[in-house]
Amino acid sequence: MTYSVIMPDAEISRVLGKLGETARIFGPVQRGTEWAFGPVERAQDLCLDYVTTILPPKKFFTPTRETIFTFDGGAFSRIEDTIPEEKQILLGVHACDVEGFKFLDRVFLGFRSDPRYLRRRNNFLIFALTCKTVSDTCFCLSMGTGPGVTSGFDVLMTDIGRKYVMESGSHDGEQALRSLGLEAATEVDLEAKRAVIERLKGEFKKSVDIDGMPELCLASQDHPVWAKYGRVCLACGQCGMSCPTCFCFDVRESVDASLTKGERYREWDVCLLKEFAEVALGGNFRLERSARLRQFICHNLSYGCYQYSMTKCIGCGRCIRICPVDIDITRIARELRGEKARAEGSP
Amino acid sequence: MKDPYERQLAQVLAIKRETANTNTYSFRFVDESVQRAFRFTPGQFVIISFPGVGEAMFSIASSMSNTESFDVAIRKVGRVTTRVHQLKVGDKLCISGPYGNGWPMKELEGKDVLIITGGVGLPSPRPVIVHIEENRDDFGFLEILYGTRTPMESMFEWEFEKWHRMPRTKLALTVDQVPEGVKWKHSVGVVTTLLQDLAIKPRNAGVLICGPEVMMHFVVQDLLRKGFNGEQLYLSLERRMRCGIAQCGHCQLGPYFVCKDGPVFKYSVIRDVPDCGI
Repeated sequence: MTYSVIMPDAEISRVLGKLGETARIFGPVQRGTEWAFGPVERAQDLCLDYVTTILPPKKFFTPTRETIFTFDGGAFSRIEDTIPEEKQILLGVHACDVEGFKFLDRVFLGFRSDPRYLRRRNNFLIFALTCKTVSDTCFCLSMGTGPGVTSGFDVLMTDIGRKYVMESGSHDGEQALRSLGLEAATEVDLEAKRAVIERLKGEFKKSVDIDGMPELCLASQDHPVWAKYGRVCLACGQCGMSCPTCFCFDVRESVDASLTKGERYREWDVCLLKEFAEVALGGNFRLERSARLRQFICHNLSYGCYQYSMTKCIGCGRCIRICPVDIDITRIARELRGEKARAEGSP
Repeated sequence: MKDPYERQLAQVLAIKRETANTNTYSFRFVDESVQRAFRFTPGQFVIISFPGVGEAMFSIASSMSNTESFDVAIRKVGRVTTRVHQLKVGDKLCISGPYGNGWPMKELEGKDVLIITGGVGLPSPRPVIVHIEENRDDFGFLEILYGTRTPMESMFEWEFEKWHRMPRTKLALTVDQVPEGVKWKHSVGVVTTLLQDLAIKPRNAGVLICGPEVMMHFVVQDLLRKGFNGEQLYLSLERRMRCGIAQCGHCQLGPYFVCKDGPVFKYSVIRDVPDCGI
């Protein structure tokens, strides 16, 4: 049974202070003209009106660079044991990103469980936030990952005008809400929340028709769209870095001058980079840029469904926003279907 | 929770020189219980790991009936393999595994088995050959086609006489070229030239193929022309791998992870997968 309370805007500061007594709070904060998930020390740091963040919140569970173990001579030290069991709250996560966590959970806790990911994941309470606007690059509605979200969070916050409906999504979330001394939400409030989501649904400008898309991608490996955009792609890899469900990493070694002390670490890697599919003696299974672009797009729209029974792409639009040459996954999806690209500026 | 990135300490029991730059190493896990629990299927691989140097994946080359130790044949080509080649008997290193699916041993029972391999591809199907030798009545005719660039690059040469003498077995060898002054009484040409005198017929046969991508491509094309079908052709693929547990993403092949769903795939399964290369 969902437990729902109302947080008036005037109470945000007090509520953050209360939550901050027992947990470190991270949330969307302003970074130049964009936003990023960062520590929230004071209520005014928090930007709940944010559109999207540069890096997705996956960085909290699978950091950009993470030590696997350190070594000193013959002795190993497993770093998992040094990840603190510190309660943290990730506040203001949009529906699409909540769905992204579900995909990452299947990667890191499915076939084999990664204790580092699990430890970090368990440290966090997720306070999801219903989007306030739909940006030009959003297409979660068509991916089934938003704008409403019904699971995968501890608390869901929805701005219904000068106040937030806060609904629990887990036992921990309910405990947190009960500690805040807020008034219960009324049926009118909950109806207002549903109205917000209905309003958002009418604001989407982008979409992907995912019906049959996994099969279509597999059958389209020679489609001219790959060469067309492969010629334009800079292979900079920002799409993968900014993707909430891209999970690839490289494993590397770092050794100090004594050659006996150091660490093995993993670092985000992206299939757009040339070295990604390189093997011994210089062979490369995706040397062509078009093949690398196809890998990124098809992993998102197709392969993920076979690997994890879940579409990898969550429709957050980050790869579209960040691409320096305006490559647009929704446009490629339409061209794969043989539909003429709509007039919206072309790369 | 068990950490899948943890490696186990192993010790070098023996080193056998195969070619100028390839050795076969016999390893044994230092921890008795780890060695006892180590069971594998032919075609599976292990991760060899040196903190500070790196990790790489290698096929297990020895018989699965040997529970005391296991062999890995390693050619010196990169950072990790160069470090391996510095090992001496008694030295320790880190290993984990086994990983991957391996060759379809159950499906091969009662069938003729054709093994086509090139260069450093032989270690992967070698445990299959040894298994057939140890269980000769469970399998039909065994035909091994092995090609290398030169006679000097041939691995497991010390075992060829034994394979020649095995009942219902044919071993055919070829090299791309024979340097001057080197004696060679077998075929000359790429491995597909050996397909001209193929003893095994497509009916009731399983084919195991392991070698460079380009070799596998031409072998598959020739076999299809000879009436073999994609369901009976098994290929062991090479990909960059960083974890062995379908997390690092490097070995992705369309909808598959080569480390988890492979490295052995039926040709019919991967034929149309992007970047398959075969």
